[in-house]
Amino acid sequence: MSGLEKVRVLGLGNVLMGDDALGPWVIEDLLARWEFPQGVSVVDVGTPGLDLTPYLADAEAVFLVDTVKADAPPGTLKVYSRGQLLSRGPQPRVSPHDPGLAEALFSLDFAGCAPKEVTLVGVVPGKVEKGVTLTAAVRAAVPAASEEIAGRLGWLGLRPARRPGTKTEPWWEVRIPETACA
Amino acid sequence: MSKRITVDPVTRIEGHLRIDVEVDGGKVQKAWSSGQMFRGIETILQGRDPRDAWLFTQRFCGVCTTVHAIASVRTVENALGLEVPLNAQYIRNLIVMAHAMHDHIVHFYHLSALDWVDVVSALKADPVKTAALANSLSPWPGNSKEQMKAVQDKVKGFVEAGQLGIFTNGYWGHPAMKLPPEVNLLAVAHYLQALEYQRKVNQIVALLGGKTPNIQNLAVGGVANAINLDSDSALNMNKLFMVKDILDDISTFIEQVYFVDVCAIAAMYPEWLGYGAGVTNYLAVPDLPLDTKGTKFDLPGGTIFDGDLAHVREIKTFDDPYFKENVSESIAHSWYDGDWTKHPYEETTDPKYTTFEDTKKYSWVKSPRFQGKPMQVGPLAQVLVGFALGHEPTKRWAVKTLDTAGAIAKVKLSPAVLHSTLGRHAARMIRTCVISETAKKHWGLLAANIGKGDTTIFNPPTFPKGEQRGFGFHEAPRGTLSHWIVIRDGKIANYQAVVPSTWNAGPRDGQNQPGPYEASLVGNPVADAELPLEVLRTVHSFDPCLACAVHTLDPEGNEIATVKVL
Repeated sequence: MSGLEKVRVLGLGNVLMGDDALGPWVIEDLLARWEFPQGVSVVDVGTPGLDLTPYLADAEAVFLVDTVKADAPPGTLKVYSRGQLLSRGPQPRVSPHDPGLAEALFSLDFAGCAPKEVTLVGVVPGKVEKGVTLTAAVRAAVPAASEEIAGRLGWLGLRPARRPGTKTEPWWEVRIPETACA
Repeated sequence: MSKRITVDPVTRIEGHLRIDVEVDGGKVQKAWSSGQMFRGIETILQGRDPRDAWLFTQRFCGVCTTVHAIASVRTVENALGLEVPLNAQYIRNLIVMAHAMHDHIVHFYHLSALDWVDVVSALKADPVKTAALANSLSPWPGNSKEQMKAVQDKVKGFVEAGQLGIFTNGYWGHPAMKLPPEVNLLAVAHYLQALEYQRKVNQIVALLGGKTPNIQNLAVGGVANAINLDSDSALNMNKLFMVKDILDDISTFIEQVYFVDVCAIAAMYPEWLGYGAGVTNYLAVPDLPLDTKGTKFDLPGGTIFDGDLAHVREIKTFDDPYFKENVSESIAHSWYDGDWTKHPYEETTDPKYTTFEDTKKYSWVKSPRFQGKPMQVGPLAQVLVGFALGHEPTKRWAVKTLDTAGAIAKVKLSPAVLHSTLGRHAARMIRTCVISETAKKHWGLLAANIGKGDTTIFNPPTFPKGEQRGFGFHEAPRGTLSHWIVIRDGKIANYQAVVPSTWNAGPRDGQNQPGPYEASLVGNPVADAELPLEVLRTVHSFDPCLACAVHTLDPEGNEIATVKVL
């Protein structure tokens, strides 16, 4: 898609559903506390289903950040390779919006424009239910997830630089209701 | 003896759409549609600034982002009686139309075509014959025998390597698959080309909305796109012409590929123009406003009851009481506390989960009603309302579709065939053709208005003390979406979203009237209960969207979807 660099960091998740906001949270953290070199796009893509394909197409390397289901305590950081993500094959489509990451990757494979490298940086969630804050364990995993991505970008010669003294304040958490009355 | 089939994706995403059908004599006798996920996200908005509501509603759904953003700003504008500058209307309309074209193309090619197309059968096709057939139907340059051969070789490579990839779970060789190998090959070729075009049209949303998938350019009272034809950072000539080029490009694909493919599939599965009508009450709202007040539109809206097009009633403005006063929601069969039917302004959301009980409560989805009646929403509703009201582009494309499909099938097709499973696909395509034309028109309107020297993009909102109520609607890709707000002293006191898939997927109501999914499945054939492809065909034809609110990947898990036959 226009405007996207060849190396992409994509945050997946819903900011209104508690720990599911992890992906977008890490994107906010990366953008607030790190300076990225040319050649890297950092995007909060929400929960796009098959609409993820334009963000994956024609990329050299994609780093995804998302919550993952795994047998480990909330806040545990887990990293998966492309092969691990695709090992199960696509799932039956029941609702047309079922297709997710694996389906988007298979579809791009078939079209011949799948990203060469895909890495998932995952965090095991605690509570995934309506709400706009992360649980403490998952919030504590955010800097580690950002470091993990920064380090891996470094292997590609694209390591971002730390911005000193900056704070991460995602808009969905910090917007304090104030009166809009004239 | 009757058999019960449950199609239930268990959960990568926390809860989903579940469909239960009772099959007897090879046909569906009864059906239940159940939303398996509690949402109630609206309560997050209580106490917030109404000017921020759209940022949050945009996150309700990952696929329909812009849709909830547009509905939300219209809702607050309606509460305040705020007019929207012409430039802002046109820019919003262009985003809405680009999103709709993207969504409809993805739905047909990437989410539902495989219900009709047997990819493995494409291996048996003759590429020369495929190209000849394609060229007899369309001037599209992407149909050459060399291209068909290349696609076939690609499929072959995937099959031989044991990696059918995205197609692994298709229903190959299912008795309900009926396309000849050449048509299957052509469809696979277009599946690949469509991937490229859906990406292309998405760029318009990025160019005008600032970012995708979550746009940045909206504001209550207008848009935030500064217009300055000489500035790189504003909406300028260069960006406008990039939008124009994409619109031209995409309309060629829509008219020469999407149009032809839908006509061909409708012609080759004529029996599916007879199944799946279900609820023939239809609701669509007007959209693509042409004035600052929301009283003139390029897409008409209205209601039709019992399939009677002669008595269509138009919904005329963004403030039409005919819409405002007639919407209600019932929770008789939904997992909420109570048994009421209420207007959205008065609704509460108190979850109370019991188990799945056919005759009692069985869904998280509420049952929206219009004058107490279930309504089908979506492109079919919008096309039928437009047709009944004599909307010229809708009529022209509908007639062209029926004539073209009829010519391929060598039968005369009347508009009545649109009340069906394949009719919903045809209507979605007809709507896409109308929108593709209209998008070029609105591009011209925007350019002309800027050319006149009008660069206004925003009317600032002011919030009086006390209470205001407002509603805003949008004819989204999946149909009528409405948001409802109660503002008290400048803060949100109540917010409700009545979404298209709720109208269609809702359970029975207090009068036991089934919702559109449920009604449309009754009478569907089911050839093989283990592989209920026919059930999926009808459900997919509505383009359901219930599953996007939460995203958790499950890289270590096992099977996440089951088809259970009892």
